[in-house]
Amino acid sequence: MSGLHRENGPLPTGSERVLEVAGLYRRFGEREVLRGLELRLWAGERLAVTGPNGSGKTTLLRCVSGTLTPSGGRVEVCGHLAGSLAARRRIGVSLSQERSFYLRLSGRNNLLFFARLRHRRESEARMATEQLIDELELETIAAERVDRCSTGMVQQLALARALLGSPALLVLDEPTRSLDPGAVERLWGAIDRRPELTLLIATHRSDDVERCTERLDLGAMSRP
Amino acid sequence: MSTTRALFIRDFLIARSYRLAVVLDLILGLLNLLVYYFISQTFGDPAPSDLGSAPSYFAFAGVGIAMTTVINAATAAVSARVRQEQLTGTLEATLTQPVSSAGLATGMSGLPFLAAAVRAAMYLVLAALILDLDFPQADWGGAVAVLAISGIALSSLGILSAALVMVLKRGDVVVSLGVFALGLLSGSVFPISVLPAWLEPIAEVMPTRFAFDGLRDALFGGDWSGDVAVLCLFAVVLLPPALWAFAASLRAAKRSGSIAEY
Repeated sequence: MSGLHRENGPLPTGSERVLEVAGLYRRFGEREVLRGLELRLWAGERLAVTGPNGSGKTTLLRCVSGTLTPSGGRVEVCGHLAGSLAARRRIGVSLSQERSFYLRLSGRNNLLFFARLRHRRESEARMATEQLIDELELETIAAERVDRCSTGMVQQLALARALLGSPALLVLDEPTRSLDPGAVERLWGAIDRRPELTLLIATHRSDDVERCTERLDLGAMSRP
Repeated sequence: MSTTRALFIRDFLIARSYRLAVVLDLILGLLNLLVYYFISQTFGDPAPSDLGSAPSYFAFAGVGIAMTTVINAATAAVSARVRQEQLTGTLEATLTQPVSSAGLATGMSGLPFLAAAVRAAMYLVLAALILDLDFPQADWGGAVAVLAISGIALSSLGILSAALVMVLKRGDVVVSLGVFALGLLSGSVFPISVLPAWLEPIAEVMPTRFAFDGLRDALFGGDWSGDVAVLCLFAVVLLPPALWAFAASLRAAKRSGSIAEY
């Protein structure tokens, strides 16, 4: 696992390999953003990806989420090629939170829409949505139209959406950037209540890194 | 099916949040009908053989306007939706969900088509109530069949357009031009017999021509079954390659990294 540092104690005891990144290479035109990245995460592991702006954090997260195809190498989620339907069923994603909701709909209707994409039955979608609204204390935000929500409120909604469908892997891009301390605690509380959940988080905040079991510094990797 | 339902409900809720737009759209449709009503009153009717089943020029153009609404929705609404999702950033969020490209394409076609069919019906009701357009020989079941199969057949063009927008971003201009040309060449508000001789053979094989003729036949006592059969053939031939092209455009966008770009 090149560039990986263990932060907090021993490996979790999960037995399933949730994420495998092998020789990941991604370029945009002439610019190489990721070069030969190797990474493996097991159930329950939490990896903080750090590095300066432009070091490839979001690019890595997009390759894992399947919205960006690697220029080379392979990314698998629970043994399924990233971006495949099977991989997307097992992953919860929160990228570009401010630009990812239907602004004319309420927070609840946004969550319900994404829940319906993951649950066959309407009753299941509604139950999953209401449980997350309750767990993350989002009742006020859920009732509000998204274009009337602050950035921090939308970020909390984005976490709820990522947790829909009980994913095995949670991919979060700077999820605490605009959150107040209470919301940060609710975010980590939700993750702590899911010990089998594997976390891949891009962050600039040291307190986020401290909550993770491992750290990948892409800035260090890109330096000669 | 759950994807289609989710997209349908989402689009319905968004559309419902713009209530005034629905009213304005109906007023615009009525104004459009009025223009052709007065053209009809001013210039009289052309030779009946040019009008197919329609009993007057206003009947011909009125049904053409109603059908154009459905054709526009089927051909341009999906690409417009894709463009909107690119601009608002929701496309990437949707693509991280377990949704197939075919489910996405067909799901995004659902509400625009149904809403357009309802609008088309309301235009015809307005034309009947206000402008004395009569349908004494209408086969309403046939009209519904023509509208439904037209929507399915022509949505393949809409999905192809969406594939273009996915890759080119501003492909919506090309799509608008294409939709305009389809209407012009297919006898929306004037018979194709007035087109230059070299254009007529092209107009004869346009799928939209069968949609216009089929609805007029169903509403004015003609035989619409042949038009529906041809539209079914178009659906069977065009839909699979359209869905393939949409899937290919998604793959291309993921390769180029443009899913999250404006």
